[in-house]
Amino acid sequence: MSADDSSLVRCPRCGEDGAPGARFCENCGTPLGAPAPDAGAPSEVTLELAPTVVDPDPATGEASHQRPCAACGGTIAPDGYCADCGTPGVSERDHFEERPARWVAGVCDRGVRHARNEDAMALAAGDTFAALVVCDGVSSAPDSDVASLAASRAARDVLVAYGPQGSSTVQGATSRRVAGWTDAMVAASRAAGQAVRGAAEQLAATKGKDVADDPPSCTFAAAVVDGDLLVAGWLGDSRVYWLPDDGQAEQLSVDDSWAQEMIAAGVPRAQAESSPQAHAITRWLGPDAPDTDARCAATVPSGPGWLLVCSDGLWNYCSDPHAMSELVRRYATTDDPLATASALVRWANAQGGRDNITAALARVSAAVTGQR
Amino acid sequence: MAEFSAEVFQNEFLSDGATDVHAVVSVTCTGAGAAGTASPAGPGGAAEIVAVDTSGSMQGRNMEAAKHAAAVAVDQIPDGTLFAIVGGSHVATRIFPYPNARVPMVAMEPGARAEAKRAIATMSASGGTAISTWLRLADELFATAPVANKHLILLTDGKNESEPSAHLDQMIANVTGRFQCDARGVGDRWVVGELRKISTALLGTVDLIARPEDIAEDFAALVRKSAARGVAAVDLRVWAPQGAQVLFVRQVAPEVDDLTARRTEVNPLTGGYPTGAWADETREYHVAVRVPAKVVGSEQLAARVQVAVDGEVAAAGLVKAKWSDDSTLTARISPEVAHYTGQAELASAIQEGLAAKAAGDEATATVKLGRAVQLAAETGNDEATSRLRKIVDVENEAEGTVRLRRNTAKLDEMALDTASTKTTRVRRS
Repeated sequence: MSADDSSLVRCPRCGEDGAPGARFCENCGTPLGAPAPDAGAPSEVTLELAPTVVDPDPATGEASHQRPCAACGGTIAPDGYCADCGTPGVSERDHFEERPARWVAGVCDRGVRHARNEDAMALAAGDTFAALVVCDGVSSAPDSDVASLAASRAARDVLVAYGPQGSSTVQGATSRRVAGWTDAMVAASRAAGQAVRGAAEQLAATKGKDVADDPPSCTFAAAVVDGDLLVAGWLGDSRVYWLPDDGQAEQLSVDDSWAQEMIAAGVPRAQAESSPQAHAITRWLGPDAPDTDARCAATVPSGPGWLLVCSDGLWNYCSDPHAMSELVRRYATTDDPLATASALVRWANAQGGRDNITAALARVSAAVTGQR
Repeated sequence: MAEFSAEVFQNEFLSDGATDVHAVVSVTCTGAGAAGTASPAGPGGAAEIVAVDTSGSMQGRNMEAAKHAAAVAVDQIPDGTLFAIVGGSHVATRIFPYPNARVPMVAMEPGARAEAKRAIATMSASGGTAISTWLRLADELFATAPVANKHLILLTDGKNESEPSAHLDQMIANVTGRFQCDARGVGDRWVVGELRKISTALLGTVDLIARPEDIAEDFAALVRKSAARGVAAVDLRVWAPQGAQVLFVRQVAPEVDDLTARRTEVNPLTGGYPTGAWADETREYHVAVRVPAKVVGSEQLAARVQVAVDGEVAAAGLVKAKWSDDSTLTARISPEVAHYTGQAELASAIQEGLAAKAAGDEATATVKLGRAVQLAAETGNDEATSRLRKIVDVENEAEGTVRLRRNTAKLDEMALDTASTKTTRVRRS
């Protein structure tokens, strides 16, 4: 066995050899090795709190039974079900949470109907800086769960590099920073696109798949909080909402979707979004994507509020910005973004959970914006 | 060392909005060993008491047969087992060890066996019947036995007429959980309901012995069965999730026995139900749990059904709920659940039908016993069918239409009543 082979990880469930550093088995999705959700984050970023993700059992590769129940926070018993509420324990890929700072957190969940979670999320945060990335794997393509995770992490790492403690910090007056973050977003989405292609090539190499036939692909939605500036970037139909405590809620992103094109052409939103083709996206990340440059929008909030990045698993049940604002307000009983994100995911599951659900939140308060 | 296994039979698929989950859990014990050998908690050994009715009504054939049966039981009690013989009328008397003996129970050995038989031969019939006093004496004797398996065989031929029934009820409550009791009635003057109260609470069986000469064989079988129960004090535990409700927990094979009211709390989500001592055997339980409905596609554990020996979980089965909008999945009924639902209904239809008949309510009796005939046919319980046919004339088995027979033998009604809880097992392919 060569030195290179030693870095290969064999899947404990199906025996498939994983690529070096692979975190999930490409064949069956079993978590491999010890995952470090923020392994890719530069050390410059201060993580106030460790993410709540717990390692899977190294012997079996199963999600650790010590992981709390996703539904009620109880303990998962050795038989695989919650000891309190009886909800099945889920693998780490199927449900994970991150909370890089007290004011930034997200929950990524398989939902009810889908067999696996092809949504992914990667977060980073400091005192006044946060990067939130959500990617939604296109479920018609196999292994989109691998692609979306790689994409979200690559994009997050690029955004961190442009952050206050990164190597190419965006600085200056607001207009300069808008321009700087727009460049950063495009760099992040390109890196994410590259990560999807990389994942596809790896899959093709390890599984001999003809990835050109049905390449893995995903959406991209990211938001940056840089003090008093909010910047959104996107490809596809994952969304960024700005939900101020006072004032008009707005959807910063504009879907790259058939439904959005219809809305632009004058079809009412509800009608467009309920049509069968509504979810057909017109831009995405993947080997067959025509371009991978995120479209961007920026805003300077006039007061505190919630910044939400989410997949369609959430907004399908609550699309309108005003309704979304009401929903978040209903569940934001405290300023804890993890509690609120968990509540939003539970709510979406209660609505039917027809798709994977990701909700990433930043509580943008005066302490973050520096506003009085 | 005894091993338990649990197997769950259910259709886990629920339609949208459905809340009730039914499952039959089949629990099997193997390697039980002999009574008193398998329990690490006790010092080993078992205790057996035979309590024989010595009231005046026993005079004659019954008394002689009962004495013979007690002697046969003594022959069957294995060496080393602590034992005693009690004679019961309106008071209870320790026949052996002799009333003047200093030890309340003695270990069986050839000398004690011979002496016990001599003592049994001296029993004579006189006085009334106050069964609570028999239970109290048995309880006092068992209390001195440092063993886990304690078993009483109780034989009577008459009604508990020398005391208010509240006395007996109170005594049953007092001794519940301290020993097990199989109750037997000889002849047709005893009351099935009275003995069933005792045997149900004390985790035993009730049966009719129509002919005195059959007592001995029955006693011998009871002693052998008791001696084979190597695992003492087994609890069935049922966990249900937060917010759920356990609708019922019912033993459905080999006999129907509703355990629901015997729940003791293990923890807020788990109830324990005593099942007494176990031999190498299989018992089946029907568990029904009501859980809040979840959205289609969700899965939920509805119950953990566990077997606990000395407080340790020895086997467990999982009862699941999966909500689906596929009616081909949700419409299926588990054959085990269907079978035992029918058997449980059969038992109550027989008991209610006979009670109505005894009360002179022929209309209700006809309907109930008709339903019983139908259920016995549907569930393939041929024994119940043949017992029912001694009480009713069947017009249409499938429809459950019957006519009450005139001049039926009381013994036939009692046989039907005592056997009503016996179930047939579901046929598994």
